[in-house]
Parts: sequence; structure tokens; C-alpha cells
Amino acid sequence: MINHKSKLRYYGTKLLIFLLSVFLLSVLVFYISRLAPGDPLLSYYGDRVEKMSVAEKEWARDKLGLNDPIYVQYGRWLQGAFHGDFGISFKYKQNVMEVISLRLGNTLILGGIGYILIFVLALGLGILCAWYEDKWVDRVLCRFGTLSCCIPEFWFSMIMILIFCVTLHWLPSSGAYSFGQAGNIPDRIRHLILPMSVVLLNHPWYYGYMIRNKLMEEMRADYVMLAKAKGQSKATILFKHCLRNVFPSYISLMAISVPHVLGGTYIVETVFSYPGIGTLSYESARFADYNMLMVLCMLTGIMVIFCNMLGQIINERIDPRIRANEVLESSEVSSL
Amino acid sequence: MTDEELFTVVGILPQEEAAPPPQKRRRELPIISMVLLAAITFLCLFAELVMTKDPTYLDLANFSHAPSREFLFGTDTLGRDIFSCIWYGGRISLFIGFVSTAVSTVIAVVYGSVSGMAPQWLDSLLMRLTEVMLSIPELLLIIFIQAILGPANVLSISLVIGLTSWLSIAKVVRTEVRQLRQAEYVVASHVMGGGFFHVLRRHLAPNFVASIMFMVVMNIRGAIVAESTLSFMGMGLPLEVISWGSMLSLAEKALTTKAWWIVVIPGAFLVCLLMCVTNVGNYFRKSISRKESHL
Repeated sequence: MINHKSKLRYYGTKLLIFLLSVFLLSVLVFYISRLAPGDPLLSYYGDRVEKMSVAEKEWARDKLGLNDPIYVQYGRWLQGAFHGDFGISFKYKQNVMEVISLRLGNTLILGGIGYILIFVLALGLGILCAWYEDKWVDRVLCRFGTLSCCIPEFWFSMIMILIFCVTLHWLPSSGAYSFGQAGNIPDRIRHLILPMSVVLLNHPWYYGYMIRNKLMEEMRADYVMLAKAKGQSKATILFKHCLRNVFPSYISLMAISVPHVLGGTYIVETVFSYPGIGTLSYESARFADYNMLMVLCMLTGIMVIFCNMLGQIINERIDPRIRANEVLESSEVSSL
Repeated sequence: MTDEELFTVVGILPQEEAAPPPQKRRRELPIISMVLLAAITFLCLFAELVMTKDPTYLDLANFSHAPSREFLFGTDTLGRDIFSCIWYGGRISLFIGFVSTAVSTVIAVVYGSVSGMAPQWLDSLLMRLTEVMLSIPELLLIIFIQAILGPANVLSISLVIGLTSWLSIAKVVRTEVRQLRQAEYVVASHVMGGGFFHVLRRHLAPNFVASIMFMVVMNIRGAIVAESTLSFMGMGLPLEVISWGSMLSLAEKALTTKAWWIVVIPGAFLVCLLMCVTNVGNYFRKSISRKESHL
């Protein structure tokens, strides 16, 4: 990035790619969801559908605009979307955005705080393992890492419920707050403990393991020998030199792990009936609530695409030699 | 004259050869995991010999029965014997794992190679497409495609899982192929009239197989997890089709009655199997450099 013009061009290209990806995503999701055989009338009218005559059903479909060819429907949706109108949810019969905004906060608390904590923990674990390479601390932690990514989230959640809710009666097993206690912060925290601990016990190990491997690669580089010959301490070398070089891959790792962590959060939400985006998207996929599904997929997709691009940009700023794709494509990272 | 004497005449002192560096621990075969994996696979394949009860029989007199001498692992909320179900259902879980991995590997190899051999613009387009697909959480994608195919059965669910899990392997294949495609033997093969699939089979695949092996094995794990998660959420296999996932879908009901064995036992088998698969997969992973650390 030498001058202003090339900078503009650089961000322009990024923006174009971003918009193109989002557009592609919306077409893809729209088509797939309409092709699915689930009956949206069922989610709109509930059990009353059974009693409706053919003509009535036809009228209802017409009213909801479900009889037009898919590309016409897509055009209409796109037009609405540009005006900030994403249609109504067939199930809740409210504006989609209203339903989502009620729940978005819950997911952001669980997912956002979880995400940050995961990566703080992962960094700590990675450094700890690299420091005690091949000692028992390292080996035990690595074992735990392998084990944790073999435990499916839903089962782990069930076990937590079994221990802490059913047997010990310490914590509530579902919801984000007790009935009528929406503003009660301690109550909310109590409801958050179990889902959060599932997220935190399941994810950081694996990322920590990757950081450990990267660090160990660095520790074998020649500059470490030089620094050591100059008499720098182990801690100085590790934190000042090695860690700095690992940082770009750490950022890429954070960026590409977004869908993984998000997907995990969705499952955890569903098991704990935590009223967030995850439960909502599960419901909407199951009951063919098209408009809702569309917005949720777009929301998730945009977030993921955005994070990927952000990771790329940050990386290219830190070290222009790195093409983030190279990190993306290393087999270890992408086999999440 | 011996070498030593020669050296003394010339004035060079014979140098002692440096001792070979101490061998680091070699990666050994994951014996325990392999034996366990083989045992579980074997017992599942020949489930009929191990089963003590008919796994599909609903013994309504003995539902949610705790583990005992008659029902080794207890019975579930429908009165089915869990011990028999484990072996009978494991067969399906394993089948799904292997079939969907086969599907995804084939797609990934073909897609990745096409993208790797293609001109620049097509390559970028294909890769952009995978990135878009990767941005939809996998589970949501599976639910979508499953919905299109209609009610789930064993074959359709393995197909769907296979269809959604090839993306990351395809990316690795593409990177490898891009490096290989300028190699002389590939060009030569093209010149001699070798078609795409001929070049892929004879020249490309043998070269990238090592780098995707680990991911392929991990895909087995991913597929088994996906199936069990889907079935647990009630969107995968129905209750009548016994798999470890559909057995766990009774767990929520079991929790209210404190029937821990319904939750813990199938899950423990699942985790055990996944653990073994992971250890075997790790064996194929490109080993990180085993040089002595400078620190």
C-alpha cells in the first residue's frame, strides 16, 4: 500500500468480493430453502391447515406470494431487503427483524463472550504446552485436547444437565432467565453458567493445540538460537520473538473458526432451550419459516464472510508477505 | 597404508565422527486404538452373535430398567435392550461414517483437481463458491439438503453428510494440484493424450493422497458426530432405525426420570469410537519437525 489510490483500490476490491459473496449466498440459501418440501402454510396456520380446503390453501399461498416462480420471489425479497423489509415470520406473524432482535442479544452474550474466552484460554494453553514441551503438563493437556474434540457438544450438554440439574439441583437446565425475571442479572448469569461451560470446555483445547504446534515450529528457527546466544531468557524469546511470529496465524485461526464456534453455540442453545438465534434457526428450518430462515442464514453468513475478510486484511497489514489463504489452506487448520 | 596413517603423514588429525543425535520418540502405531476400533467394528458387524435380546423388541413391561443381569446396560424408555442396541446400532453409525466419507472424498478430489487444473478465472470462481458454502454452518446446510431429499433414511443421510463435508479437503487437493500441474510428467501425460481422469488417477492422486489422508480419516469422525447430532435433534434417523444417534434422542426424556444409563452408555461408546478414529487419524498427520528445540 504505497499511496492513497492503491489503498482505495485494495479496499474496493475487498468490498466487491464481499458483496459478491453475500449475493451468491443469498441466492443459494433462497433457492435451497424454497426447493425444500416443507410446507410454510403449516407454520403459518398451525394445525388449522388440516381443515382448510384446497381453494383456501391456494388463496393463502397466493396471498403469501408462494405461487410465483422462485426468481420472481427472490426479486421481491431483494427489493424488500434494500428497503429494510425482510418480510414477516410465518410462525410468529411478526416482522422477522423484531423477532430476531429480541433474541440476538442472548446469542451475542453466549457466543461473543464465549468466543473471546475461548481464544484467551487457547492462547494460554498453547503457550503453556509449548513452554513445557514433552513434559507431563504438555502431554496431559494434549490428551485432554484430543478427548474434548471427540465429545459431541450435545452429549456433553446432556451430561452437564444430568450432573448439575437432575442430580445435584444446583443450576437451571433451560432458558435464559426464570419466568418474569428478565431484568434480574444474577438469575441470568445462573442460566448462563452451564451453556457457557460447555462452550468453554469443548473448544479451547483444539485451538490451543494448534498454537502449540505453531510455537514449536518457531522455537526451532535459527533466530531463536541467535537470541539465546545473546543471552536472552527463555521467557523473553518465547514472548517477544516467537509469539509475535505466531500472531498472524492466530488471527487467521480466529477468523476461520467463527462458523465452527457459532455452529457449536447453536447446538448448545438448542439443547439448553436457550432463546437465541440458534434455537430460532433450528425452528425455522424445521417448520419452513422461509423469511426467518433467510435472514438468519444471511446474518450468520455475512458475519462469517466479514470475519474471514477482516482476518485477511489484518494479516496483510501485519505482514504483507503472508497471503492469508496459505494459512487457511494448511490442512491442520481446515480440518476443524 | 591405512587411512589413519595417511592422515598422520599429511598432518590432519583423524576426526571422531559425531555421535548420531539422540533419537526422539518415534511416532508409534496407535496399537490400543486400532485394536479397540477393530473390536468395536467386529462386534458391530457380527452383532447377531453378541446380542442377548432382539434390539427392536419393545419390552413394555421393562421400560427404563436400570442395568441388571438380564439387561446388561439397562433398557431405554421404549423398553429396548440397550446392550443389544449398541451393537446393532453401531453398525449403522459406522456405515454412515464410511459411506459419507467415501462420497465426500470423491467429490473433493474431483472438484479440487478441476479447480487446480482450471484456468485462473474458473479457479477463483470455484474457490469463491467453496468459501461461500463454508460460511453457512454445516449443520444448517445438512438440514436444508435433508429437507429437499425428504424423510431421512440411512443412505440419504450419509449422502447428505457426504455432500456437505467435502469443502476443506477440496481446498487442500486444489493447492496440491496447483503445485503439481506444471510438473514434467503431468505435462508429458497431457501431451501424449491422457485425459483428465487418467492424469488424475495415475499422476496427481498418488502425490496428494498423503496430504489428505488425515483429513479423510477425520471426516469419518465428523460424519458420525453429524449423524448423531442430527438424530438427537430429531432431524436425522427416526427412532425405529437404531443408531447411536437415534438412541441418544431418547436422552432428553430419560433425563426427567434420572435414567442415566440411557444417556451415558451410548454416548460413552460414541466417544470411545471417535477417540480411536482420531488417534488413527493422527498417525497419518504430517509430522511436525522433530528437530531438537532451540529453546
